[in-house]
Amino acid sequence: MPRLSDTMESGTIVRWNVKEGDAVKSGMVVADIETDKATMEMPVFDDGKILKLLVPAGQQVKVGTQIALILEDGESMDGAQSATSSGQPNASAAGRPSQNTSENAFVSANSNTRGASSVEPIDAQVEEILQADGARVRVSPVARRIAEQERVDLASLQGSGPGGRIIKRDVMNALENRGATPAAQTTESARASSMSSSAPTTSSQAHVAASSSLAVPVTPTHRAGGLVVAGLQSTEVAVSSMRQIIAKRLVESKTTIPHYQVSMKFELDRLMALREQLNSELASMGIKLSVNDFIVRGCALSMAKHPYVNASWAGEKILMHQQVNVGVAVALDEEKGGGLLVAVIRDVDRKSLRAISSETKALSEKARTRGLSMEEMSDSTFTVSNLGMFGVEHFTAIINPPNSAILACGAALKQPVVRDDQLTIGYEMTATLSLDHRVIDGAMAARWLNTLKALLENPATLLV
Amino acid sequence: MSATQELEFRDAIRDAMSEEMRRDKRVMLIGEEVAEYNGAYKVSRGMLDEFGPRRVIDTPISESGFAGLAIGAAMMGLRPVVEFMSWSFSLVAADPILNNAPKMLFMSGGQFGCPIVFRGNDGAGGQLGSTHSWSVEGLFSNVPGIKIVIPSTPADAKGLMKTAIRDDDPVFFMESERMLGMKGDVPVGEDVLVKFGQALIRREGADCTLASWGRPVHFCMEAAQELAKEGISCEVIDLRTIRPLDIGSIERSVRKTSNLVIVDQSWSFGSPGSEVAAQIHQRCFDDLDNHVHRVHTEDVPAPYAYNLEQEYLPNTRKICEAVRSATYNA
Repeated sequence: MPRLSDTMESGTIVRWNVKEGDAVKSGMVVADIETDKATMEMPVFDDGKILKLLVPAGQQVKVGTQIALILEDGESMDGAQSATSSGQPNASAAGRPSQNTSENAFVSANSNTRGASSVEPIDAQVEEILQADGARVRVSPVARRIAEQERVDLASLQGSGPGGRIIKRDVMNALENRGATPAAQTTESARASSMSSSAPTTSSQAHVAASSSLAVPVTPTHRAGGLVVAGLQSTEVAVSSMRQIIAKRLVESKTTIPHYQVSMKFELDRLMALREQLNSELASMGIKLSVNDFIVRGCALSMAKHPYVNASWAGEKILMHQQVNVGVAVALDEEKGGGLLVAVIRDVDRKSLRAISSETKALSEKARTRGLSMEEMSDSTFTVSNLGMFGVEHFTAIINPPNSAILACGAALKQPVVRDDQLTIGYEMTATLSLDHRVIDGAMAARWLNTLKALLENPATLLV
Repeated sequence: MSATQELEFRDAIRDAMSEEMRRDKRVMLIGEEVAEYNGAYKVSRGMLDEFGPRRVIDTPISESGFAGLAIGAAMMGLRPVVEFMSWSFSLVAADPILNNAPKMLFMSGGQFGCPIVFRGNDGAGGQLGSTHSWSVEGLFSNVPGIKIVIPSTPADAKGLMKTAIRDDDPVFFMESERMLGMKGDVPVGEDVLVKFGQALIRREGADCTLASWGRPVHFCMEAAQELAKEGISCEVIDLRTIRPLDIGSIERSVRKTSNLVIVDQSWSFGSPGSEVAAQIHQRCFDDLDNHVHRVHTEDVPAPYAYNLEQEYLPNTRKICEAVRSATYNA
């Protein structure tokens, strides 16, 4: 059982993605593990075959416990079996300096067989260690420096040095490809060059976003009867690692979670009035509450009555979370390649509007300029996505796993409304809740929305 | 530029010594066979005739004795040049040359300096066997207070020898028996000196820096020529002195090439080569595309057999292999 967070002492295998006998490749996610904080994916760092799954799904075990055995290519069963019986912790896996120690979780039967025949040439052993260490990108110092200066996404490169080390030549080749063709100059790399002249961005997040500007033009032409017809003109843009993560997680969410939506209209006249009053009084302190701050607080308070909305589907059970941590979706600048981060405000049900407001503001700002730390993005139990500031009336959002629900908020718009059977002008907002039907049924969702409606329409309750 | 004349390496050294002896009456030459025999390797040809037996002095085979005597003379104001027939023989004089000369200024609180030059043949290559084939710079560069000069051309030999004689500290000047007959253009003129601590770029290049000193500089030049045919462009830096060490020149070059191969004819463990590697790893960490590679003499006593001795020493083939490896062209 790998230690997947600093405070993790034990973990629960939520799901095995492999069976005994399955072939695995380095980097493949073989299990989902529920830690004290969140459900995380566990990759393997060796190629081979799953010999044995020692811990079944649903069982909680201490960090360091053997949970599976992998038979590497060309290994015999004998060594592996003795590893099972002895149950010794394995120390042979290549030591990686990063915090993720998951490769140690997998006992490589190799160590035992190697012990028996010590004649293996040193070079071969070194090579093996280099390959086993697949998850870390190896980069020569100068290649790393040039990549940083020129904003080349190292993750997109294939290293040609020993053990896949990315060397200067690889980065220079990538740069040459980027700068070589006029089509690229006019579009994406023009953007890249204008960016490199601006103030340096130090954050890896911002850097990842920026590096998506590495463009290789593709201009296919079709020859028909000697006539050259220009085909679809496209530019190829390398995908940043952030976009890769967005793609992976959202496809997984949308294809594995049974989504459905429930919408409701909220009368926000009183909330808008209260907000105006509070803001005029707090203006001298530099505080400006947003409509979203009220919504975030309202959502958190609604959880007390409806704890299933603050829960996660975990295979054969549902995890009811003790804290209410609300994720706020933050869009990154389009000029920097876009992207989306979820900043997590912790224990929102125990925080004042003012605290929620300043924390949201600080995290959004940090997300856009320097990027967020893992901690600032993890452990959400519910997410709010708000496009109201763009005048959007209504939209639906994809659930942010392992959450079971996400609220998509439109703008609070001044419009003709019916109040006390009279047609009048008032503020109304439409919000749409996307839900995981495995955890929350339609009626539960409706009741939760009603609770939220009661809070937002009587906003003084949000102050206490 | 001043005029030049073609000289053998040995005559360049002789001219340097003679010019300095004419210039400064305190300068003298002492060692085995330096006078009557004109030097065991004919470096001091004609010096006895010109300067007489009071300034060009033959000694018995007694390195510890005449090295100590010369150190005493230096402390009292003379500027002796001591010839060791081979640096291998200096080992019996380790106490005076390592324990006295370099520490004198420090231990006397500045009362006594030690302006002395020790010179002689260093390095293997002549089938002289294990005990006579030392490259002592590996050992001696460990000692503070010593200046170590290892020229690679007749011009440098002359210019550096003149600087050595005028220097107020003990200087260990290392020649190579294999190079004494090498001819080269040497600037004419009594005041053409080569400063210590100033490396020279002998060949410019873009892909890999080759840093060396003394005889292996020539192997580096051959390797650079060979590698150029493969499209690998080498910059060859001749350090000329390893104490003081012109690390700045190597640093500038490595910032350009991102790769460094050091060629050092001493053993690798605790050597000038390992020192340069350590300093470059520290100074140029973010500029390196690969770890610093080193080509040294093999970690065994020098073999006598010709073919084994050639394999034991740094040579052009080994340097080419190291450069290919460092530049990921292996």
